[in-house]
Amino acid sequence: MFMAVFILVFSTALFLFYLQATCQKILRRRFDQEFFHSIVNANRLEFPFVRRALEEYNDVPVDYARFRMQLKCDFLALTYLLKNAANARQRLTRQEHLLVMYFRALFVVLGAFHLLGWGEKTPILKMTSILEYFANVLGERVNTIRFGNISASDYLMSL
Amino acid sequence: MITFLLTHGLQYAGYGLEAGLFAFLLWRGGWKRELALWLYVSSLLTVDFGLRWWVLSRYGERSHIYYYFYYVSDALLTLGAFGLVCSFFRRVLAKEERLWAICRLTLPLVFCLTLALSSIALFWHYKDLFTRFVFSFQQSLYFACLVLNTLLYIVIQQVDSADEEVGLLVCGLGIQLAGTAAGYALISMTRNTNLAIRQLLNYISPLCFVGMLLIWFCAVARPPRAATSCALDKKQRFPAPA
Repeated sequence: MFMAVFILVFSTALFLFYLQATCQKILRRRFDQEFFHSIVNANRLEFPFVRRALEEYNDVPVDYARFRMQLKCDFLALTYLLKNAANARQRLTRQEHLLVMYFRALFVVLGAFHLLGWGEKTPILKMTSILEYFANVLGERVNTIRFGNISASDYLMSL
Repeated sequence: MITFLLTHGLQYAGYGLEAGLFAFLLWRGGWKRELALWLYVSSLLTVDFGLRWWVLSRYGERSHIYYYFYYVSDALLTLGAFGLVCSFFRRVLAKEERLWAICRLTLPLVFCLTLALSSIALFWHYKDLFTRFVFSFQQSLYFACLVLNTLLYIVIQQVDSADEEVGLLVCGLGIQLAGTAAGYALISMTRNTNLAIRQLLNYISPLCFVGMLLIWFCAVARPPRAATSCALDKKQRFPAPA
């Protein structure tokens, strides 16, 4: 009985650990350049400012409600763009699906940490890294397509 | 009806992915580079598509023979996963002669010990395999592999291996081993009396298996340095302006 309880607890913990490790391995991908800057500027995304605020001002308390809303809005914008911008298949890849689930799980964890008063910095930083990855993928994708001097209708007709 | 669809859907998704991964490795010539992985996937295919199918069609789902065959083949496949982890150790420690010298001695010892203990336990309880013994046996076997897999993960972090592929393969295997070990432990805890928990294992185990195969697909499909997520084909791209 003791052995079964031990294995259950340890295996469940390792299961969650491996899921997180898989997501972190996907996030560790290196891009040729920092594509996310152009996406951030074009869409007025706020996650870089959230990250900078957390990294540069350690002693300032986290503005939970504001950061949560900013990250949620960026997440919705980026997932919509990933599906619809320069994507002929109009759907997310398997890796992106996994990261979307990871982001949602972190969103729940963030709420729990806030309620328990454990400090929200770590989950927020992880969420910004996911958003940066999404923006990089999107930027790379947009960068790959050379629009040249074609019109919008030409582009749509060719899809 | 939903239960039936879910369990069978997951099961056939697993079979499809298994066959897909086997074909993908063969088609891309990756089987030479990933020989151990390819052999493991081949053994999964042989057992799932060939042997179990044959036993099932010949003796029926409710026969003792199918039950025995299912659990003994599952134990053999878990030992195969053990061997796969050992091959990953060799791959990760290819440049670390000192560490590999230690592992080269200990890994076969651990493997033989696990094989011997599993064989002895199966031999002793072969007559009463229908009791909860089989679940505690499987739980221990999966857990032993999980511990070895986790040790490998730690070694990868220590060595700071640049091989991203093996990292993802290890994570995928970890998800399958950890999920299934937790499921078997849950059954052992309730002494195999709770039908709902047994039903739960019918979902957990195939779900983890599908998760593992999807992660393995991601690992072998992505180019060595970086994956290309762009969904557009070449023909859909526009030429550069003149």
